[in-house]
Amino acid sequence: MNLFKILADLEKVDPEVMDRLNHRRSALAALGNITKKITLATAPAILGAAFNKTLAQGAGSPLNDVLNYALLLERLEAAFYIQALQAPTLTAAFTGNAGIRTGIEKIRDNENAHVKLLEAALGTNAAAAPRGFNFTAAYADLPTFLTFAQAFEDLGVRAYKGQAGNISRTATATIPSVSVTNAGQTSTVAIGTVNVLQVALQIHATEARHAAYVRYLRRQPALGSSGSAGNQFGWITLAQNNGAPAAVYGAGNGAAFPAESNVSQANVDLTTLMATPAYTAAEVSEAFDEALDSAKVREIATPFILP
Amino acid sequence: MSTPLQTPENGLDLGGALQKPIQRRSFLRYSGATLAVGGLLLAGCDDDDEGDVTAEVQLGTGNVGVLNYAYALEQLEAAFYAQVIATPYTGITADETAALRAIARHEAIHRDFFKAAITRDAPGQIIGNLTPNFSAVTFSSRQSVLETARTFEDLGVAAYNGAGRLIDTSNAAGATYLLLAGKIVSVEARHAAQIRDIIQLGSFANDVVNAVGLDRALTPTEVLAAAQPFIRERINGSQIGS
Repeated sequence: MNLFKILADLEKVDPEVMDRLNHRRSALAALGNITKKITLATAPAILGAAFNKTLAQGAGSPLNDVLNYALLLERLEAAFYIQALQAPTLTAAFTGNAGIRTGIEKIRDNENAHVKLLEAALGTNAAAAPRGFNFTAAYADLPTFLTFAQAFEDLGVRAYKGQAGNISRTATATIPSVSVTNAGQTSTVAIGTVNVLQVALQIHATEARHAAYVRYLRRQPALGSSGSAGNQFGWITLAQNNGAPAAVYGAGNGAAFPAESNVSQANVDLTTLMATPAYTAAEVSEAFDEALDSAKVREIATPFILP
Repeated sequence: MSTPLQTPENGLDLGGALQKPIQRRSFLRYSGATLAVGGLLLAGCDDDDEGDVTAEVQLGTGNVGVLNYAYALEQLEAAFYAQVIATPYTGITADETAALRAIARHEAIHRDFFKAAITRDAPGQIIGNLTPNFSAVTFSSRQSVLETARTFEDLGVAAYNGAGRLIDTSNAAGATYLLLAGKIVSVEARHAAQIRDIIQLGSFANDVVNAVGLDRALTPTEVLAAAQPFIRERINGSQIGS
């Protein structure tokens, strides 16, 4: 069954469906609303898909749903770097830029570790991995690869941020240990009982470091930076995508998920807060990263996931 | 050089802004703690820059405590970068100037945001302007400035990462502030990586991201112990939680 296609279609009908379906007890109510918006012919398939998803995701535990969502994104990111480092079209570029290869390997190692960590936290509730991922279009050359890397990292930062409110600050996970590989060295790391919200924040910050590194690489003229990417630093100015998919920087579903160009925080418009010198919209937008809802994130990620 | 963090050049002009109608929601859960902020009056009275004993600044409890904690750290960062911009180090490049100017603005925005938000949502409970002590920093030295910047940014990331679970999100206000902390911490992480990559390209995660890919998280006690040498007032965050 082409689950992601169906879910993507479902989101077009009802953008908030993914959020509602994350709570099993509200799934029936949500589906009731959905069926009013779609044709009768497609209803059975959508209903079936929705129930499959509900049953597959940790029997409706909201925390497991969040963790499985994070796991999907980490699997996507890990696969993106694993495949890039093996892509014939990028071999020469990586050989000629050993420093960049090392940096990308470090990111790959972090993403692999995130996958291991989340799988261990979920245990038997971990969702099955997708059949595969397809990033062929992203590996045309080094600048193209870095453009997509920026998109995935910036998207990851927004995705984690969007889940902060869905994780109880007292939720814990007990992970005896995980086996990870860093710079070619495999080791077993003891973890223990951890606060889930804190770990999510720690992953979130790591993703932001990745994003800043890749963004700064794209600033370097020697790496083939062209146009607007040559002016960017590690942070996001307004909703400038600089070659990456615009949706990564755009608004999500609902008022809680404005575009990266947002200048108002907690009802304080920071462009008018100070008289002299006033902060510009660009400066204010750079100072705050924005969250993105899971439906929008999945919509952006789906084309890279093999059904 | 006992310069207040709020210099005229980067100072606040909240009067005008706060006269505007700002939605006065009960953002914060007040927990009845008394806040000792009056001791700041002593800060300007001491002629001895190097060994002065100043009063204690109590950050408070509950969500107000967390917000004051963030405000204190943002004051420190903003003051540091304001000085970096005012007295650029020898041999600074155009790219470095552009990056540091941007970061200076971001930190000032964070500081001014917290000042406005705490003033609005927890009247009378905001801490005062802190007085920095950058005597350990050589502002003419690229190495000294960038390594201090790296320290501050990495510390800021660890502080927010550790403080997230201290925010009571049982009401909408707390949830708003948790999300805001998330919006700021990733920018601090971008700063940290940017500074690190200026020092050495590719060092964005060195020695701060562990073997399982986690950035650091520190308790307020740990963070304040590291920040205290750069602040003249004694910061007391013991009531925030850990």
